[in-house]
Amino acid sequence: MKQLFIIGILLLIVGCQKEKITISSSTSEVFYVENAGASMRVLVQGNTSSKIFILIIHGGPGVSSYFYDTNYIGKNLGDKCAIVYWDQRNAGASQGSSNGNKLHLDQMVDDLKKVTEVLKYRYGQDMNLFLLGHSFGGLILADFITRPGFQNMIKGLIDVDGSHNYPLNDTLTRQKLLTEGQYQVAQKRHVSEWQPIINYCLSHTGNFNLEESQQLEQYANDAENYIDSINHVSIVTEVERYNIHDKYPLTAIISNLMYSEDSNFNEELAATNFSPALKIVTVPVLVLWGKYDFICPISLGEDFFNRISSTDKRMSVSSRSGHNMILQDKKFFCNEVASFVLAHN
Amino acid sequence: MSQPGFYKEILRTAIFLFTLFYCSLCLAQSDTINDSSSRHINLNLSYNSSLIYPGITMAIEFPLYHINVQVLKNQKTVRFYTRGRFITGSLNWYHHPDFHDNLYLTAEWLMRRTMYSGFISEFSAGPGFSRTFLGGTTYRVDDNGNISVVRLAGYNYALITFGGGLGYDFSIKKHLPFSAVAKLNIISMFPYNSTIYFRPVLELGIRYMPGMKWIIPGNKLVSTSEYK
Repeated sequence: MKQLFIIGILLLIVGCQKEKITISSSTSEVFYVENAGASMRVLVQGNTSSKIFILIIHGGPGVSSYFYDTNYIGKNLGDKCAIVYWDQRNAGASQGSSNGNKLHLDQMVDDLKKVTEVLKYRYGQDMNLFLLGHSFGGLILADFITRPGFQNMIKGLIDVDGSHNYPLNDTLTRQKLLTEGQYQVAQKRHVSEWQPIINYCLSHTGNFNLEESQQLEQYANDAENYIDSINHVSIVTEVERYNIHDKYPLTAIISNLMYSEDSNFNEELAATNFSPALKIVTVPVLVLWGKYDFICPISLGEDFFNRISSTDKRMSVSSRSGHNMILQDKKFFCNEVASFVLAHN
Repeated sequence: MSQPGFYKEILRTAIFLFTLFYCSLCLAQSDTINDSSSRHINLNLSYNSSLIYPGITMAIEFPLYHINVQVLKNQKTVRFYTRGRFITGSLNWYHHPDFHDNLYLTAEWLMRRTMYSGFISEFSAGPGFSRTFLGGTTYRVDDNGNISVVRLAGYNYALITFGGGLGYDFSIKKHLPFSAVAKLNIISMFPYNSTIYFRPVLELGIRYMPGMKWIIPGNKLVSTSEYK
């Protein structure tokens, strides 16, 4: 009886790991890429027969790609192309053992390169691959794209509220919090909430250390709640909605997030700046930004847009979103991304 | 897109609730009799799940000691229960689609209290070993860009489990060598991405007590009092 049970389990396990590659208009499959002590989950959803793939590089560090996988994107983008949700190392459903020493930007770029190689191995070298970086994902994207020869691996890139320059990011966040805060106070909106933010910005003027940088990010996160024209979306509600359906490993997501947030990795990031290197970028680029993004203010997007050498580039701004446009203005997001990738197919 | 405050709050609340639950299992003043005649090996088969993710547990319990306890008030017995201590060995598995399958062995120290009514409460904790199998084909890319599939990809983890449960012992009133137990365990695996992975696991199981000497209600209890 016990032997039968063990055999049954092994059969099930082997069955789960059997290679399955689907080319269809409604694919949904998961595979893992193992690299330097981490096995990173990759979910491919949507129309793989279109040969258009959009690889989402999520924010964080440590936030999972699960939060980007919504029904709306599935229906309005997944019908035209395949969306690739990659959980970075130490994030989401990615697994490993003692791999904390490998949590750094250089390694993540190598991970991304290997994920793209596996994608092409599975779905064909002739695919049109687009990289989409959001928030911290914008930093990985900027590092990847500015390495010699790496642009040849992709058809184009999409920067959505991404950060390519952390020191500049902090300066711009402070500036936007101050400007918008003073305007809101003058309009007598959320005065008691804005006042401590304004005071903090006035007393911290530059050369931010990690602690100040994190405090500014916290205020930037809070500030979105005090702008009435933003379409507010609760992450908690999103988790409740998709948790069961998408089979979230919720405790793993939480453990990974907490570890990544407290990791020394963040000190390395605080000084990272890719602005000067962006001039080598020549692939087609779409820059999407939320008008009320305090975490990565719109001026950061303009810096990215102005520095790249691509002649085929476009920047578009959503007037009703903050940092999380993918959830806050999903129609705008899907329309922009769909028209960009279809135009470059 | 992170909301760390929310996650930390959930974790804090969960730890508080578990602490509260286990504190409630503390014992009051009582008289005890070690009853070696009731020692027997038990077998346990359980459905083992986390939310909607199924699994199974098979366990064997080795008794260490078994004590009948009488709680007295003004020379009258107000409560009677048995207290057992066991070492258990279990083989467990759960299947979380697209994430992993986890096959884990545990050795636990188990404390169980069985009331005269048949009601059971228990607590267990112990170390273990886990082997996960990733929930999808796993690829490895070498530095030359060669891609290979990793067979039976997964990780080995050290594991610590603790949990508590409630149940009913059918041997006391129904004279059947079974008991049914619902138990909530927390398994923690490490080093998981250089941190600890916690997972709540709900066990719904049947325990078979092949060597059970059935307790005859009434008479046995009287003899316990006489002994005192």
